[in-house]
Amino acid sequence: MAAILKDGEEQVLKAESIVAELKRLGVTHAVGLGDTALGRVCELLSADPELKWVPVCREGEAFAVAAGLTVGGKHPVVMIQSTGFLESGDALRGTLVNMKLPVLVLISYRGYAGARRARGAAAETDWTDTAAVFLEPTLAAWGLPFLTLGGDEELARIGEALELARQRSAPAALLLLGGCV
Amino acid sequence: MLNKETGLRASARERSDEIVVTTMSAASIWGRLSGHDLDFASIGSAMGHAADFALGLALARPDKKVMVLNGDGSMLMSLGTLVTIVASGAENLLLFLLENDTYEITGNLPLPAAGRVSFPGLAEAAGFRRVFDFHRQEDLERALPGILSGRGIAFVNLRLERGREPVPVRAPDQAISYLSRPLHAAAGLLRAHLAEEGGVGPPH
Repeated sequence: MAAILKDGEEQVLKAESIVAELKRLGVTHAVGLGDTALGRVCELLSADPELKWVPVCREGEAFAVAAGLTVGGKHPVVMIQSTGFLESGDALRGTLVNMKLPVLVLISYRGYAGARRARGAAAETDWTDTAAVFLEPTLAAWGLPFLTLGGDEELARIGEALELARQRSAPAALLLLGGCV
Repeated sequence: MLNKETGLRASARERSDEIVVTTMSAASIWGRLSGHDLDFASIGSAMGHAADFALGLALARPDKKVMVLNGDGSMLMSLGTLVTIVASGAENLLLFLLENDTYEITGNLPLPAAGRVSFPGLAEAAGFRRVFDFHRQEDLERALPGILSGRGIAFVNLRLERGREPVPVRAPDQAISYLSRPLHAAAGLLRAHLAEEGGVGPPH
């Protein structure tokens, strides 16, 4: 996944910055399934003795594991790709939503750049990634508010999204617009 | 074949301070047999996600054992959870599987490949080192103390007679205490009970 452009400037999101910010915010576990965008974050977490990485086989499991961790007194985040999020509807509904648990869900936004170009041209093409086309409407349909994160200069969004989750006693999402380096 | 109620009664008798997560056809029977503060019914929750919810509890509280009473249909809905449990490195999760080859609460519709799937075999292949398979009540009762006191995760298969359990529901007039409050209140209560025992940090 390429770095994204904002106002003509390339934004860089460092995996080390994400991990450091999650620790600063008191996150204890990251539960999920990595992709090319999150891969470096997962690598760092796998070797981190402080913030524990819990890998799952399918993304829906991440919501249930995170719910159990939260009820048990820990502070997890879920970390998955948008395709896996689309697979996880009932797991999200039945755990974090129904249990009213303020867990942050970090979602890598597959196809973001292409979908943005398609929207700019006011038309999707045969080459537009439907994972990106469906993500934001699905978040809206499932009642999950979200913020976006492009580069290191926006790292405060992690804490803002976490605060959003806390305020509503329910999950909130943070969409990673590009890949982490 | 085991009878579900007598099998679970033996398990309830041996249980001490473990957290117990139930779901589907085990939920109501366990609620009638137990009534412990650390019982939690994954009802009104996500189908097929009791075992992974229990894994989260186990990872959060390595000082306590967590038993989950899962159904075979529920297990098939998230079979990868067997691998997730092993990969997690948790040492305190006891996964009981109630195998009756049907989706009992929806009228005993047969599972895919009913009777041809080896759940203990799947658990072994996923990396569970302690795997048990019980057909007879006396064998279960003899082994239960060792299963509960032993070290490491365990997979405990209970081969059950076919049952007729109705759909368990949460409702304010439910006679079964742990089904008489909404899911979020039940989760909050479990969290509070765990906090009383120590190990739960301040709200995030």
